[in-house]
Amino acid sequence: MEKPENLLAPFRALCRNPGAQLDKVLAEGKKAVGVLPYFCPEELVYAVGMRPFGLWGAELECASSGRYYPGFICSILHTTLEMGLRGMLDGLSAVMVPTCCDALKSFGPNWKYGVGAIPVIDAAWGQNRKTPAGEEFTRASFRRILGRLAELAGRRASDAALAEAIAVCNENRAALRAFTAAAAAHPEAVSPADRSAVLKAGFFLDRKEHTAMVRALTEALNALPESRWKGLRLVTTGILADSPALLDILGESGFAVMDDQVAQESVLFRRDVPVTEDPALGLARYLGQAEGCSVLYDPGKERGRELVRLARAAKADGVLWVMAKFCDPEEFDLVPVKRMLEDAGIPLLTVEADQQSASYEQARSALEAFAEMLRG
Amino acid sequence: MNEEKRDAKSVLRALQDRIAQDAWDAKNRGEKVGWCASNFPQEITTAMGIPVVYPENMGAAVGAKGGGRRMCEHAEGLGYSADLCSYARINFSYADWKECPELEIPFPDFLLCCNNICNCMIKWYENLALELDVPLILIDIPHLDGEACDEDRVKYIRAQFDDCIAQLEAITGKRMDYDRLTEVMAVSQRSSRAWLRAVGAMEHVPSPFSGFDIFNNMAVACVGRGTVEAAEAFELLAEEYEALAKEGKSSFKGEEKYRILFEGIACWANLRATYKGLQSRGINLTATVYGPAFSFLYQNLDELMAAYAQVPNCACFEHELELRVHDALKNKVDGAVFHMNRSCKNWSGKLYELERQFRVKTGVPTVIFDGDQSDPRCFSEAQYETRIQALTEIMEANKKEAR
Amino acid sequence: MDDVLTLGMDVGSTTSKCLILRSGAEIAAAALIPAGTGTSGPRRALEEALDKAGLKREDVAVVTATGYGRATCPGADHTASELSCHALGAHFLIPEARTVVDIGGQDAKALRLNPEGKLVSFLMNDKCAAGTGRFLEVMARVLEKEVSDLAEMDAQATGVVPISSTCTVFAESEVISQLAKGVSLPELVKGIHMSVAVRTASLVRRLGVTAPVVMTGGVARNAGVVRALEKELDTPIRVPPLAQLAGALGAAIYGWEHVREKR
Repeated sequence: MEKPENLLAPFRALCRNPGAQLDKVLAEGKKAVGVLPYFCPEELVYAVGMRPFGLWGAELECASSGRYYPGFICSILHTTLEMGLRGMLDGLSAVMVPTCCDALKSFGPNWKYGVGAIPVIDAAWGQNRKTPAGEEFTRASFRRILGRLAELAGRRASDAALAEAIAVCNENRAALRAFTAAAAAHPEAVSPADRSAVLKAGFFLDRKEHTAMVRALTEALNALPESRWKGLRLVTTGILADSPALLDILGESGFAVMDDQVAQESVLFRRDVPVTEDPALGLARYLGQAEGCSVLYDPGKERGRELVRLARAAKADGVLWVMAKFCDPEEFDLVPVKRMLEDAGIPLLTVEADQQSASYEQARSALEAFAEMLRG
Repeated sequence: MNEEKRDAKSVLRALQDRIAQDAWDAKNRGEKVGWCASNFPQEITTAMGIPVVYPENMGAAVGAKGGGRRMCEHAEGLGYSADLCSYARINFSYADWKECPELEIPFPDFLLCCNNICNCMIKWYENLALELDVPLILIDIPHLDGEACDEDRVKYIRAQFDDCIAQLEAITGKRMDYDRLTEVMAVSQRSSRAWLRAVGAMEHVPSPFSGFDIFNNMAVACVGRGTVEAAEAFELLAEEYEALAKEGKSSFKGEEKYRILFEGIACWANLRATYKGLQSRGINLTATVYGPAFSFLYQNLDELMAAYAQVPNCACFEHELELRVHDALKNKVDGAVFHMNRSCKNWSGKLYELERQFRVKTGVPTVIFDGDQSDPRCFSEAQYETRIQALTEIMEANKKEAR
Repeated sequence: MDDVLTLGMDVGSTTSKCLILRSGAEIAAAALIPAGTGTSGPRRALEEALDKAGLKREDVAVVTATGYGRATCPGADHTASELSCHALGAHFLIPEARTVVDIGGQDAKALRLNPEGKLVSFLMNDKCAAGTGRFLEVMARVLEKEVSDLAEMDAQATGVVPISSTCTVFAESEVISQLAKGVSLPELVKGIHMSVAVRTASLVRRLGVTAPVVMTGGVARNAGVVRALEKELDTPIRVPPLAQLAGALGAAIYGWEHVREKR
């Protein structure tokens, strides 16, 4: 059997240069659609035979995005817009842009007038997501997006194709759940940066291909002898926790990620999309069942309760909140969720992350101190 | 009524005070009182006779009265980032301190949230609901992606409207009388038309009033739109403005040399500095999105739903731009001042592009300044002065050239 | 048992501090050089401290580096974060300390200790420089003063000229326009100190204020900031005489605990 380290290398390579993956898809004559966060179903893109390409920003310094966004808008949107303005995303057939946070609402017009050639698909969904009316609005909206995508793809969108796409993505979700469990059992083999790369690569690969790679890796991990690793066990939360520099500091400070409640990670695969007669309804219902993300309407702060549950189940020493700079929803959530963790006696460290200036010296001090504190 | 006919300004102020007092009286009688988002469909609560108060208006008032810094700093001590909306921070401080020397509002038994103005409202009210342990009702109005509000959105908003009524009936024990709702809708239309008439008077040269007055009168438009008193007060206001205009007079202090569009929420905590910087140079505000957009025109319930989706920051970019351009041209502005409001990511995220396209379409000079709706720490008087002076110089040069 | 010497180096952004500790109990020597990471400061601080104690590098059992430049500190055997070190140092100097505030050049930190002096929770400032030593440096430059002059000027103030801006650039322009108005310099300095205190106080309040509150780090020597912070937090603040060396002291204690564990 392959060694895990050999199987991990391709994931890291993919995440270092996602653009190459886009070029490859385009060179094969396929069409690709950029998908911005949050909760914009990739399944819709697969259903019309196009390739979704996740747009969660990038670590780069922005030179042009400041023409459209002021400095106090989050780096995901700044850097994604920057990539568009620099032509790094040329060839995409469209970008799908939800409007579930305030900064996202202006992404559409900023992209339209800045980047121009690549059309924007407005991807609205309902915040009253657990009510029949909200579900129906989301279902209808997803149907409309599907129609628009079908036009761009130049083919018909069938329910059968959508159901098939959901099945493929659900298989990927199951594979990722198995992988995160295996990674938690073998921190000696999977560093925090490795774990992130495996999850993130799915945004740039065909999900089927990704599933196969993830399964092979998981098998290799499960074949390892029982781990004798004795480090500190973390559960992460936030929007993104994918900065290699930050994750390396985590590893160097003796931490491993046991589980996460990160919008870009487990939040997307903790549950499957329900199988329903109208597949679009399943996608809407999935949104109703999702938890653990600050852009979702969450009047009882289920997010906090879930985080406590995850930390306890993972026997975590602490929780790391990777706080996306200038993210309103996260900054609001911090106050009540922090209190819920405190009440549960779970130590929390908050580290600010900004893709535009990925300097983590302060984070290093904080993480080292957190480790020293937890070790007592 | 044996009293003399009063001026609209004092009628509006008295009305605002009375609405505030009514909420206190209701609270003291043991009635259920709500906290409400400013652009929540007020027709529901007005028709049901349920008193509500508006934390956003309190945030503005506290800012204007000099409490913004203290309240914002306290919220930061509670863990709220200084990057969050200052109205929200002021409100969290009030929820924690339970007192505020500048202005107090009765504490709520329920919360009414609507995100047509911003999604920040949702997170703000979620936290309040936990903090104060009261039920939260959300009417979710998704941002528009086209000129019109489509059928799917209307259906969705309508269902939430109905659901909200049912929930409020359960919470307050009061029933919705649908005939009363029809009346309230009619009165709201009357208020809205009167409001449009009043602000429409800004097209006269000189404008019959100082445009900053709109920021104050908006509060009544927000909270009292559904009452006959508000409709009458706005009709009175429109009459006064029209009478002044007829005589070529104005309540603006000094000669109106230049006319501008002011984009954004007022800097309540720096109102004097922002106003003086303009007024001292003979600059009057004759266009603001609060003019045309702070009315809700509809003929029936479905149109009401659509109207609430067309509020500023919920409508699509092109529609928003057109509102400003149209108003600026109609009201003959010489320039425009754009407030880059630190509190409001929804408004600020599109401000640069809005300013650029506005400038191209109207051909007038523009300037952007940094500020905040209620946190004085984000505003620099020196920066503002320099920019307004530069704008004035350009407007002056343009006038010379035109002559 | 023979005395064991441990040495702590606190390499900051603008200063280098060195302290030698005898068996975790007695301070043998200390040095402070006003040059930080990337300069000759760390080496000079080390040499000066050894010199003062009449010791050679070989006499020292272990060198622990902390501070912004800890990773590149020459000759260090291991490193520890400045948060743990300030906690250890503050506890050594004032054993009953429960809340420690450290305002350094780049970072402001609030630490909570349990009754045994163990670090149980902490917070650091966000990215904006307002509320750090760097902010004071910028303002001192605008006033054409030295940072070390600020405390004395503050003491002469009878009133205060408040500075409201949180952004360093805006605060700078605010200070300049106040200067242009000809306000009293001491009152302006007091306003600057209050602005730092307010930012720091909100950090401390987020952590929770448990008395006694102790302040360490370079800014602790500025009595104006300390007074303003006392007022903001409504609690007395104790500043140990060796406040600026607390980080280096903590590093030396860290080293001593390391040596003791190995025995």
